[in-house]
Amino acid sequence: MLEAMGLSSIDDLFADVPESVRLQGDLPLRGPQSEEEIISDARMLLGSNVALGERVNFLGAGLNRNYVPASVFQMINRGEFLTAYTPYQPEVSQGILQAMWEFQTLICQLVGLEVSNLSLYDGSTAAAEAITCAVRVNNRKASQKNTVYISQLVPPDRLSVIQNYSQGADITIKLLSHNLDGTLNLESLSEAAGSCGIYIEQPNPLGILDSGLTGIKEVIGPNTAFIVGVAPTSLGLVEAPGNYGADIVVGEGQALGSPITYGGPLYGIFSCTKAYLRQMPGRLAGRSVDVDGKEAFCLTLSTREQHIRRHRATSNICTNQTLIALMGAMHMSLLGPEGLQLLAQRNMAACQMAKDKLGQIPTIGIPHLSFCHYNEFVVELPGFAADCLDYLDSQGLVGGFDLSQWYPERKNWILVSFSDQTQAAEIELLAAHLAVWSTSKKPELNA
Amino acid sequence: MSYMFEHNGAPGKGYSQPAPIYPTEKLNIPQGLVRKNLPKWPRLSEPEMVRHFTWMSTRNFGIDTGFYPLGSCTMKHNPRINEVIAQLPGIADIHPLQPEHQIQGLLAIFHEMQEMLGVCAGMDAVTLQPVAGAQGEFTAIRCFQEYFKLRGEHQRTKVIVPDSAHGTNPASATMAGFEIIEIPSQSDGRIDIEALRAVVGEDTAAMMITNPNTLGVFEPDITEAAEIVHQVGGQMYYDGANFNAILGRTSPGLMGFDAVHYNLHKTFSQPHGGGGPGSGPIGVKSHLAEFLPGPVVRRRPVLSGDKLTNANHDWWFHWYEPVNSIGKVQQWHGNSGAVIRSWAFYRRYGNGLKTMSEHAVLNANYLRHRIFELAKEKGVDHLFCDGAPTDVVKHEFTLSLAALKKERGVGAMDIAKGLLDRGYMAPTVYFPLIVPECMMIEPTETESKEVLDDFAECFVDILNEDPEVLVNAPITTPVRRVDEVYAARNLCLSHPFED
Repeated sequence: MLEAMGLSSIDDLFADVPESVRLQGDLPLRGPQSEEEIISDARMLLGSNVALGERVNFLGAGLNRNYVPASVFQMINRGEFLTAYTPYQPEVSQGILQAMWEFQTLICQLVGLEVSNLSLYDGSTAAAEAITCAVRVNNRKASQKNTVYISQLVPPDRLSVIQNYSQGADITIKLLSHNLDGTLNLESLSEAAGSCGIYIEQPNPLGILDSGLTGIKEVIGPNTAFIVGVAPTSLGLVEAPGNYGADIVVGEGQALGSPITYGGPLYGIFSCTKAYLRQMPGRLAGRSVDVDGKEAFCLTLSTREQHIRRHRATSNICTNQTLIALMGAMHMSLLGPEGLQLLAQRNMAACQMAKDKLGQIPTIGIPHLSFCHYNEFVVELPGFAADCLDYLDSQGLVGGFDLSQWYPERKNWILVSFSDQTQAAEIELLAAHLAVWSTSKKPELNA
Repeated sequence: MSYMFEHNGAPGKGYSQPAPIYPTEKLNIPQGLVRKNLPKWPRLSEPEMVRHFTWMSTRNFGIDTGFYPLGSCTMKHNPRINEVIAQLPGIADIHPLQPEHQIQGLLAIFHEMQEMLGVCAGMDAVTLQPVAGAQGEFTAIRCFQEYFKLRGEHQRTKVIVPDSAHGTNPASATMAGFEIIEIPSQSDGRIDIEALRAVVGEDTAAMMITNPNTLGVFEPDITEAAEIVHQVGGQMYYDGANFNAILGRTSPGLMGFDAVHYNLHKTFSQPHGGGGPGSGPIGVKSHLAEFLPGPVVRRRPVLSGDKLTNANHDWWFHWYEPVNSIGKVQQWHGNSGAVIRSWAFYRRYGNGLKTMSEHAVLNANYLRHRIFELAKEKGVDHLFCDGAPTDVVKHEFTLSLAALKKERGVGAMDIAKGLLDRGYMAPTVYFPLIVPECMMIEPTETESKEVLDDFAECFVDILNEDPEVLVNAPITTPVRRVDEVYAARNLCLSHPFED
């Protein structure tokens, strides 16, 4: 090939790189490996990790180990999907475009709103983008300019993403307080009137389903966005936020269709009313016609996006999480409405059983016992959470999450999570170990 | 046409689930929160789902389908070993809140990737957290911002981008709160050094640029540009979208850049997945390391009491929070699955990564050469010209079809659609905007000479094609030209259910 071009060496192709910036020799890296050696190293390195499936585990905090049907994993390896780029040439991208249009439909139906994009990066960036979107839409009419209120329970890592995304637009984030029982403080909510939006999660980060949220839209009024973060599988039992006044619904899509994969790739759900459509982030698949009048799909409203709009775009997002959203669409289509309901029941039943069993242990407490929980709840311990988790680890259990990492004053709270994968015997085992550990403790901390 | 929503079989037939482990009567959902109407989801059986998505996949074009010369996107083959490894439970079934001692193997891989990416780009510290190239840009710009804040340089409010830059550059800097100064490129697409000199000042925060630029041309004045920006106290940002062109031959660090993002889904073969997921780690010089989003992986020699596994005989791997971290840009640790796939890709090349870029550049130059040669033979070389006349290009090149448009009334988009009819994915069209009737072609290193020869022949044939045929192309695709204006004017963003 070099010869055909009249060149003698590959170096000729790099003659335009100035001498002063040329690298000499090979990079100081390890030598190449064969496929077999790579697989072998991967099995050795990744095999040394403790996969959740090998342990009785109660870790959740927003990512739950839900079953994904085998056919989803098989189908996602179709090379026509896996190895395609963004569908900029619609004539040869009808597959992914239609699949994303169907995904949008499934999400709209799930959350009860009119519009959904075809995914953002994850639940945290979806929340962050919802907040900046709310300001773009509502700032003109807002009496509290550039201000959004978010639940004080939002975990620090999610809050950090929100702050990174919102600081550039000069948005002030204020906190909505919760009552001691974990429900939203409605007096605090009244301060949010006239702001650009509020962001609350349902279930909240402590697993509580707050029935007070259904009346919130009337309190904050039409010009303040009501943004709700959801656990999508819960919507098989719990009312869709779109049906109680939400303007934007976001969430972590993972439980529908995706393994946890150490927290990524996941997919962020972003759905809204038509009022927010022109200011929303991310790609949209639309149905159209071709020159013969045949139904066809294409990306639409791209004038919101960076490749057209550049610095005036609604977001910088380009590459998103399409393939994971596609897994979500496959899973949802197999579940059907009743399957979703059953999945929600299974998640909730495991959680309820655990509450009833752990509630019988006199040496530990369940601070929000009287509320309805989805996937997870708080256990209050007679000692440090970290010690308890170490003990459970020594017994072969991945015990739960030390909530002092989110709320430093809560040194004796753990968040324990249950999903459709949780077995009754595992809950019994957790209860037995917690009983042993907690009775051995003298109360070190005030409850 | 077949829609998912036409399938409404018996409830629960898609896949069987076990019963709840506890009586559902005990679920005390407050009355006002009980969902009244379930979503109108279809009910597909497994064979229906498999057929529906298989049918849709046949209406989609991937690298697996054929040559995908989409400029700026680096559509290289995605080795299947990546997929096998990413499905192993040691990554797929790991929760990001698991303690360090349970994930030493994973952290070892992350550490190796941080080190490798740092070496490749000449950077001192790397974070794997950003999940896409655009997010990497945003993350680096945020690091610049915090760096300036700490130094009390609050007046640095402007980010300079060339008019040939990817759209994400200005969008990312705006999102972080900066004002954009766009500078014109020279007619050959290179940086206009005088234009740059004219706009820099004490309000300059950074310049964002890719090199080779979006015309596939290496910027010979890059070190001068870096000097100009550094002299006024600004930072240089390297958009890694075109990193596939130079890896191992030169590095952003050597060129004077302070920060860079890597598109693992371009350079390191994470599949594009129809639009994502990607992964956009960033590397920075040491003065910016303390601002990186946290945590990043570090290692120390093992101590007695460490729980050893096969992965950590000598080193204990642990998370470390940079002292002045900007915080997080994704809630967990980024697209770890993509990092694992890219690790497998890296291991195949090791210290030979340079050959990857060499072959990518060889393929681009050969294809360019072949197209011009054949066009001359067939007497159609007057119909198009180089987007940037230059002896050699890097990993991609641009053609301007302005002459064709003028002479025969068919433009870049028509040629693109004609290529679809011949079984090729179309190159990027109408970008960068500075080239009239632009077509941007990037073959990547994973295509054979035969593929390039065939494509060149086909491309030249199409230039000679009856314009009538081209304006009506494509005709062999699942649908013909799609009316994007109709889509925007008659918005239909979800299935219209009939109640």
